Amino acid sequence: MTTDADPGTSPAATDARDLWPYPTDYTSWKILAWCGPVFLAAFFCMWGLLARNIPPFSPNATPDEVKAHFLELRLPIMIGMSVCLTMAAFYMAWSVSIAKVMERIEGPGGLWSKVEMMGGTITCAPLMVACAFWLTAAHEAQYLDASVVHMLYWMGWLLIDLAYFVTSFQIAAVSVVFMRDKREKKLVPHAVIWWGWVTFASFFVVSAIPFVTTGPLAFNGVISFWIAFFTWFFWIPSLSFFIFKAVDRIKAEDEAAGRVNA
Amino acid sequence: MVVVTAERAKPRRLPGVDGVWVFIGADLVIFAILFLSFMQDRLKNPATFEASRQTLNMHLGGIDTLILLTSSWSVALAVQAMKRDQIDREPRLLLGGAVTGLMFVASKSIEYFEKFAHGITPGTNPFYMWYFTLTGIHLIHVVVGTSLLTYLWVRSWRGTYDHLHRAVPESVASYWHLVDLLWIVLFPLLYLMKAV
Amino acid sequence: MSVLRERVTWVWLGLVALTCVTTWGLSKDLFSPAVAVVGTFLIVAVKVRYVMLDFMELRDAPLRVRLAFEAWPAVVAAVILGFWFATPAMA
Repeated sequence: MTTDADPGTSPAATDARDLWPYPTDYTSWKILAWCGPVFLAAFFCMWGLLARNIPPFSPNATPDEVKAHFLELRLPIMIGMSVCLTMAAFYMAWSVSIAKVMERIEGPGGLWSKVEMMGGTITCAPLMVACAFWLTAAHEAQYLDASVVHMLYWMGWLLIDLAYFVTSFQIAAVSVVFMRDKREKKLVPHAVIWWGWVTFASFFVVSAIPFVTTGPLAFNGVISFWIAFFTWFFWIPSLSFFIFKAVDRIKAEDEAAGRVNA
Repeated sequence: MVVVTAERAKPRRLPGVDGVWVFIGADLVIFAILFLSFMQDRLKNPATFEASRQTLNMHLGGIDTLILLTSSWSVALAVQAMKRDQIDREPRLLLGGAVTGLMFVASKSIEYFEKFAHGITPGTNPFYMWYFTLTGIHLIHVVVGTSLLTYLWVRSWRGTYDHLHRAVPESVASYWHLVDLLWIVLFPLLYLMKAV
Repeated sequence: MSVLRERVTWVWLGLVALTCVTTWGLSKDLFSPAVAVVGTFLIVAVKVRYVMLDFMELRDAPLRVRLAFEAWPAVVAAVILGFWFATPAMA
């Protein structure tokens, strides 16, 4: 991009679009921000309601009971899990829109925006793979030994629950950077930032799930399921709401500073 | 959040950083849900819960309550010292808070080891699952709070905190009072609640 | 010592006294379980309220926030006692 002429004075530069380092495709930015609520709606309806995971089938169930569950709910689980496998990617797309807002605070070379984007992207992996295990269990239960179905059931839960720290990193990155916002009226308010910390804290105790099959810490329990999942479910739309507004505010700031396309 | 009304000499405010109150509020709601859940399980198992409750050491539990109340008192006095720019009083009051926090951790550890020595674990029955889970999560809160108080104590040696610079200590203090008040409920819930 | 003149010190003394009442007073067998449990949890609600108002300084907080927090001990005590009364006597 270097030319012999001084870029500030060349005729081409005055009507050149100042695209770097600011994304000026605000429309795409907002579409990506919408991917968060879309992900949540799909996941809540397909995984939560259709596939009957709110609350999950008991971890205390015997292999025969688990096999019977997958045989009985074969079609709903197959539909729910296959849609979730596909829609999990929306979480990744959403995380990109957040990272770009974070870069406006910590600068384009900022570290935490990259951690956020990686965290949000890798979060898709346990979601997709766990859904694939449960999809397989439903698809194949009629041919499988009950112990194998039980194994697939647990593989899904152990993966989806214990890989939480990739999401923890994403949430921490978001909270750290938005706390540093020096605007008088922050792009993301304190309440959402601190809700992120509540969600972050709520994930740790889920590490107990391999060791208990009943009670509050089991994967269907009040702590490991209801609190851990619902704090995260609430974080996604509340953060998204402020990301949409942030894009509009940033656009206004860019226009005021003369940084948009002509 | 500052609201000035005609009748008040000083405006209404929340101490510390605004956001910490979201955390405190959320923690209170979460624990309330856990208390409700505990009572639900107790409804299904009154005999087991009562028999197991009687194995808990209520004297130790009561002393733990006194320890945390004293800790909160010390920390509240430390914040008052900051407001009055009494910088040399701060370190010992913050240290008092941290040391009493450590005493609580020690006491709980002794209690847990006693249980394990008698072959009692979280898996023994639903009551003990709740006992270890509730006191365990609370204990994690205590460890975090004690660490934060220790950090404040070290910073206070350098006169960091005064009436103009107290948002962080006030936030930590508010969190610490939360930890105290949760135990105020937990102790009678687990140790004192006799069956009908 | 000036500490004795502080409000927080008097609140602390009160809380200590109430703790002794519940731990070593109401727990005695001379009180029926209903009296002990109801008494204990009413005291719990009072203790929590004082920690909120005087240690957490919610007395000086914006009124809506203060009321929301003050509702917590009331609701929690009510729910706990409600469940306690609904729990059957052991066989």
